[in-house]
Amino acid sequence: MAERYSILRRPLIAGNKSFDEVTRDVCAPLESKSTSAWWMTFAAALAMLSVGAVAVGYQLKTGIGTWGLNNTVGWAFDITNFVFWIGIGHAGTLISAILFLFNQKWRTSVNRSAEAMTLFAVMCAGIFPIIHMGRPWLAFWVIPYPNMRGPLWVNFRSPLVWDVFAISTYFIVSLVFWYVGLIPDLATIRDRATSKIKRAITGFFSFGWDGSNKTWLRYETIYLLLAGLATPLVVSVHTIVSWDFATSVIPGWHTTILPPYFVAGAVFSGFAMVLTLMLIVRKVLHFEDYITLHHIGAMSKIIIATGGIVALAYATEFFVAIYSGNDYERFTFVNRALGPYAWAYWIMVGCNVGVPQFLWSKKVRSNVALVFAISLLINVGMWFERFVIITISLTRDYLPASWADYSPTSVEIATLVGSFGLFLTLFLLFARFLPMIAIGEVKGVLGYGKQTEGGQR
Amino acid sequence: MPFLNKGISTIMKRPETGHIDPAPAPQRGFDRRTFLKAAGFTFAGTVLTGCENGAVEKAIPFLVRPEEVTPGTPTWYASTCGGCSAGCGILVKNRDGRPIKIEGNPSHPISKGGLCATGQAMVLSLYDSHRLREPGISGKVAAWDAVDGLVAAKLAESRSAGKSVRILTGSGAGPTTRSAIDAVIAAFPGARQVVYEPLSVAALADAHELCYGRRFVPHYRFDRAFVIASFNADFLGTWISPVEFTADYRAGRSPEDPSRPMSYHVQFESRMSLTGSNADRRVVVRPDRMREMLGGLAHCVALETGSDAGPFPPPVADGEKEILVTLARQLAAAGAKGLVVCGVNDLSCQVFAASINAMLDNRGVTVDLDRPATSRTENDRETGALLAELDAGTVGVLVLDGVNPVYDHPAGEAFAAAMKKAGLTVAFAQHDDETSRHATIVLPKAHPLEEWDDAEPVAGVVSVRQPVIAPFGNSRSLAECLFAWTGERIGAREAIRRVWKSGIFPGQRAQTEFAGFWDTTVHQGFTTIDPTPSGHRVFDATALSRLPAPDAGEQPGFVLELYPTVALLDGRHAHNPWLQELPDPVTKVVWDNYAVLSPVTAARLGVGEGDEVRIVAGGAVLELPVVLQPGQHDEMVSVALGYGRKGTDRFTSIGPEWFESVATVEPGETVGRNAAPMLIIRGGHVSTWRFGVSVTPTGAVRTIAATQIHHSLHVPEHLAPKNAERRPIIQETSLAAYAQSPEAGRFETHEIVSMWPDEHNFTKHRWFMSIDLTACTGCSACVVGCQAENNIPVVGKDEVYRNREMTWLRIDRYYTEEKDGLSVAHQPMMCQHCAHAPCETVCPVLATVHSEEGLNQQVYNRCVGTRYCSNNCPYKVRRFNWFDYPRGDDMARLVLNPDVVVRERGIMEKCSLCVQRIQEGKIAAKEEGRPLRDGEIRTACEQSCPAQAIVFGDLNDPASRIAASRKNPRFYRVLEEIGVEPAVGYMTLVRNRPEEGGRNG
Amino acid sequence: MNSRIISIFLGSGLLLCLTIFLTSYANNVRLPGNHEGYEPVQPIAYSHRLHAGELNLPCLHCHTDAGRSRNAGIPAVETCMSCHTFVTAPIVDVRAEDKRAEKTGEKPSRIISPELKKLYDMAGLDDELRPDPAKEARPIAWVRVHRLPDFAYFNHGAHVSAGVECQTCHGAIETMERVRQVSDLSMGWCVNCHRDANAQGVNGRVVAAPTDCSGCHF
Repeated sequence: MAERYSILRRPLIAGNKSFDEVTRDVCAPLESKSTSAWWMTFAAALAMLSVGAVAVGYQLKTGIGTWGLNNTVGWAFDITNFVFWIGIGHAGTLISAILFLFNQKWRTSVNRSAEAMTLFAVMCAGIFPIIHMGRPWLAFWVIPYPNMRGPLWVNFRSPLVWDVFAISTYFIVSLVFWYVGLIPDLATIRDRATSKIKRAITGFFSFGWDGSNKTWLRYETIYLLLAGLATPLVVSVHTIVSWDFATSVIPGWHTTILPPYFVAGAVFSGFAMVLTLMLIVRKVLHFEDYITLHHIGAMSKIIIATGGIVALAYATEFFVAIYSGNDYERFTFVNRALGPYAWAYWIMVGCNVGVPQFLWSKKVRSNVALVFAISLLINVGMWFERFVIITISLTRDYLPASWADYSPTSVEIATLVGSFGLFLTLFLLFARFLPMIAIGEVKGVLGYGKQTEGGQR
Repeated sequence: MPFLNKGISTIMKRPETGHIDPAPAPQRGFDRRTFLKAAGFTFAGTVLTGCENGAVEKAIPFLVRPEEVTPGTPTWYASTCGGCSAGCGILVKNRDGRPIKIEGNPSHPISKGGLCATGQAMVLSLYDSHRLREPGISGKVAAWDAVDGLVAAKLAESRSAGKSVRILTGSGAGPTTRSAIDAVIAAFPGARQVVYEPLSVAALADAHELCYGRRFVPHYRFDRAFVIASFNADFLGTWISPVEFTADYRAGRSPEDPSRPMSYHVQFESRMSLTGSNADRRVVVRPDRMREMLGGLAHCVALETGSDAGPFPPPVADGEKEILVTLARQLAAAGAKGLVVCGVNDLSCQVFAASINAMLDNRGVTVDLDRPATSRTENDRETGALLAELDAGTVGVLVLDGVNPVYDHPAGEAFAAAMKKAGLTVAFAQHDDETSRHATIVLPKAHPLEEWDDAEPVAGVVSVRQPVIAPFGNSRSLAECLFAWTGERIGAREAIRRVWKSGIFPGQRAQTEFAGFWDTTVHQGFTTIDPTPSGHRVFDATALSRLPAPDAGEQPGFVLELYPTVALLDGRHAHNPWLQELPDPVTKVVWDNYAVLSPVTAARLGVGEGDEVRIVAGGAVLELPVVLQPGQHDEMVSVALGYGRKGTDRFTSIGPEWFESVATVEPGETVGRNAAPMLIIRGGHVSTWRFGVSVTPTGAVRTIAATQIHHSLHVPEHLAPKNAERRPIIQETSLAAYAQSPEAGRFETHEIVSMWPDEHNFTKHRWFMSIDLTACTGCSACVVGCQAENNIPVVGKDEVYRNREMTWLRIDRYYTEEKDGLSVAHQPMMCQHCAHAPCETVCPVLATVHSEEGLNQQVYNRCVGTRYCSNNCPYKVRRFNWFDYPRGDDMARLVLNPDVVVRERGIMEKCSLCVQRIQEGKIAAKEEGRPLRDGEIRTACEQSCPAQAIVFGDLNDPASRIAASRKNPRFYRVLEEIGVEPAVGYMTLVRNRPEEGGRNG
Repeated sequence: MNSRIISIFLGSGLLLCLTIFLTSYANNVRLPGNHEGYEPVQPIAYSHRLHAGELNLPCLHCHTDAGRSRNAGIPAVETCMSCHTFVTAPIVDVRAEDKRAEKTGEKPSRIISPELKKLYDMAGLDDELRPDPAKEARPIAWVRVHRLPDFAYFNHGAHVSAGVECQTCHGAIETMERVRQVSDLSMGWCVNCHRDANAQGVNGRVVAAPTDCSGCHF
């Protein structure tokens, strides 16, 4: 279809690339030998992963007691990490689905890796609900299936059961979405493949893509449909995760603003993570032309926006607590800000409300190093947001006699490290074997803002 | 009411043989087959964990079945508790041949159905694999004949050498033991029994000897008292007969009772004792001023009653004067209904107290002098004399029965040295303890559940102690041995029957046949007779003139007070993990003793909780971590006795072990430190006070494991939202306010709108519980009762430190600072069985659901352990199995209740309102085809409570006790405003005070 | 054309085989913990068919506790001896011995069947059924047939007193030479029976069979 591009826009892809150049640039890392830098980072990631594996193994063998939890604080690092990773897993679908529907062309440079990131993050997240169980070998009991117990079903009133459905759906849809997007590029790799095996594999996974007009048409329809299907999920998943807390009776959990609050926070942290990763990829794989300052700027703006929502949520939370007249509720929030865990609270506020404000300045937005630092801080802040909500609320609930403090054990910290290890390992493998940038889509926007004769064709 | 068997236990023997012979062959040692034979119908490899094992199981029936035993159903035996000298009546629950639970005997005149934590934990010490099994001579295992031979020889030798024979026993020996001792005295002229108790009340007895010419400890009747003035007497915790006193005390403290006023209780003390925490008015006094206070009170009472007794020192300090005058007025007004008790082991104090009681003329009302408490006969002076004799080498044979002076006597070291000078020392001991390892002959002392014995806690109340299981060890009772050594072979049971036939049987009229009398007595566990009249003596006022002069006034420096804990008493129970892990009722600390300081003093010394301080008293030095205690006198440091027992490092790996875990006690160390060397003998009596003590920080820090980290209903000031500083958890009021309106103290309630469908309509039963906070003293008996009933594991110090104690029932203790003192509230807290339970909605696998009868059921085998239910519990009463807990050795596991699953790692558990007892009761009713009777089903906590504070029953039965208390205007439910509809409620705590907050009674 | 028919034929044939195989497999497939049909060999070949069936002894004659205890109780050796002091072998053997004795004119000797011999050994008796000092009397270690997992509480007394027949759960025990587990003893099996009992009652009697979790799990 003939598109019209404004000549008043700067091009999305710098360096005046030709189709062929794009293909070569993107495929370069896949076809060259892996660099020593890649090997070193990969080794580091594997090391982190194995640390986590050992910790989890020990915990499964010995018992949940190897975590710092207690009678009062039943969830801490485990569920904090879970919510954190689910949050990270948000940007991908948002970029690929919502931005696609809003016809945001700049997404094409980042959507592929963002979607990959989503998948890996959800994988990391998915581990925690299972290992946090006292008897994980019976985890399958949370799935309804016919049985000899009379029969005995799951408790459909429990948000944990909703989680099971929400997250698995989200994962499957994201996976399909990502894979469908990959098909044309897999075909490209197939066509460029030198080795037999590579050709065979990519050939199989590219479903005999022939790049014909008909194929493209079908492809674009299905992609549009999937985008439509994925969009509600962006909202639903984190809403449902937030219900784990919102439906409870614990002051600090039991609040109606959690769903929008969580979704905004998720997008916020998701984009921060996308930035973190893209800035590295950009540097290491020399994608400066594809991920331009324009892209970074766009994402920074989204971060400012969602950060603003998060900040508003923090404020609202306090207002609601004070205004509610519920003494327990009021105490919980005062305790967050001034109690024994105030440091965690202020890290959260500092990183999530304070730091993003720097992005208002164009100077900062166009300074890659600064943006990178900010994105990292935001990730830290968002981890602490979950910690504050989940753990601090539990440490001081209704009966003063049952108050307790919490501090993590080395096993818990190792598990957190391990989840990052898993995430990085998967992402590095992705970077090594699959095109980080959607070749087909980028080609689609090459002409964007390009000076052509008379501005029309 | 459990079924009492008639006659004696026939568990481990054929019915025909007459009695349990001292060491029946099969029970020596404890191989599994013996156990199976003993246990009758049992499944080999009976799996203790919830998971089933694939192994082929054997089902092994009896060879010959004893007619009383129905496998799978309990048999109950009446007996007498041996936990301390109080001699409470107990019922022992036997399942398949092994005792698994001890409960109070409701028909017992002294203990009236309750039983303290210590008494209930005794069943665990029965299965203590560290107990001595075989008699030994100088370290080598010996046969009884050899022992008898050697002792006989030595006795003869000492008689010929003109040396003396001394028998050192604990207090509370029964008629039979006394007669055995008399036999020895008859056979060996100059032989004498010396009675020794580390927690001595000797001065009390001496004072009465001085005032009434006869040495005895009076029997106090708190149930009849209207005004109680207690001077340092922890009568609800550790003093003389806590269970009896708690029951009586509670009987006098019901604000509803129309027949009598609620009693008024003033406690003069220097540390926060359990009794003090329940007092209506608590006066904090520096120990060395206790004498003046008593004297002052006596002075005022003399004025009030116009008695000419005296002279007493008049009160000096104005504040105190005013207090004493008003108290004296109240006592005088109460007259014979007034009662003064004094726990100070000092002659003058006790004489003052006795003379106040005399002036109140409460004899035969609140103070029974004619039926004295024969359970306490210790005599510090004689113990001192014995030490001298030993030192002089004039003692030929020394027999020690269950006493441990080397550990707990002020001059323990000296005692150890002196023992060597005796011709022969024979020690009956349960463990290889500090004293027995200095004795030549060490004899295994039977556990109270293993032996025949009797006791006479109060003159005229004689109770029998029967074996409910054959001895694990090769043991013989003291009486039996003493008879043997005087040349008479007679079994313990025969000895008792003989003594009772001649001594007890004639004293009663109910029965004409001795056989019948004996059977009923053993059946009900006790009998009452008219005691031999003591001869009515009058109070001798001249006693006052014979008192020693008071020590020179206040002394500089700290005062150290040594006190017994509710759990370990003098340390005799240090080998019992249940008691070691029982939170102290006041400090809530477990597995340790510590230096208790008031917050002010701690601040002055610059120390905080856990900082180690060095306490120097005379020569003795003690290094202990600090625990802060509001309500403690500022110039006082107090330390618990009973810790630092040798061999307690057996608990090194009592809890789960993983790479970050910390051992409960380091190998070679002891649990806590022994403070007994700090005791001192003052005026011939063991004094728990040391003056001029120095307390200095060492800089070291030690972990203190407590079950509570926040001790007040007030949230920290800097976090407190406006006028929400105090949490509405405990409803309390004053008697005056209650008199105006029985609803006094109610929290303002708002209408609760529930979005819940009313899915539960409780058509059959509706189980409900109410706990009367006015009655509850916080004694913690229920905690152990629950632990024993429900197979709750011991988790060790580290786990408690990590807030992972497993006890289903905890007692929350809250302090409230008020304008002239501190008031304390104890609140037993367990699963509230909410009708709209937050835990039930969130469990993904329906492992916790509501029953048609109002129970919040936890299904262990369905639980996957997400802990969501626990997070969502407003009361935080759910307990998660963080590990597979060790649960002691094979022998210790014999105490497990076969009717309750032992939970495996990774699942949630909590109070079930003793659902196994509910089922048992329902099935029994079904089998008999009758409706359930109210009170037939009693939860473990309810039955154990000496104060009867807990009422459990079916709310659907309008005539039930629970329906009544539900209607009581004092009834309220904790956190009712969040709409969870608990099935457990509480009764407003009413303190006998004139108006809210005010204390000047 | 041909090929298509052939392929259809082959395909359907394959399908058929598969279904047959799967169904037959499905019948023997057994969920873990289900010991239905368990029929272990016992130390003494005690025959319920003979005692409960032929001789028509009531179950509670030996399993005395079934009516009042959680355990039905396996009789003590003592109980067996109450009859087997006199009955030492099948009557036919005894008759045969008498005949032989008649013929030869000597007094008949005591016949002891091999299985009862085992019993007497357990009881510590010699062939003349006198206590044998050489032997130690010891209980019989039967192999347990019916076993519920430990987390399930079952009370015989409650069921027997409610009028539930032993056969309802244990099957036609009076026809079994060797005891076999006839029910799968699964939770569903228990619960369904309880539900039916509440709906229809047991032998016309109205009963209150618990359907709460805590009826069995505590």
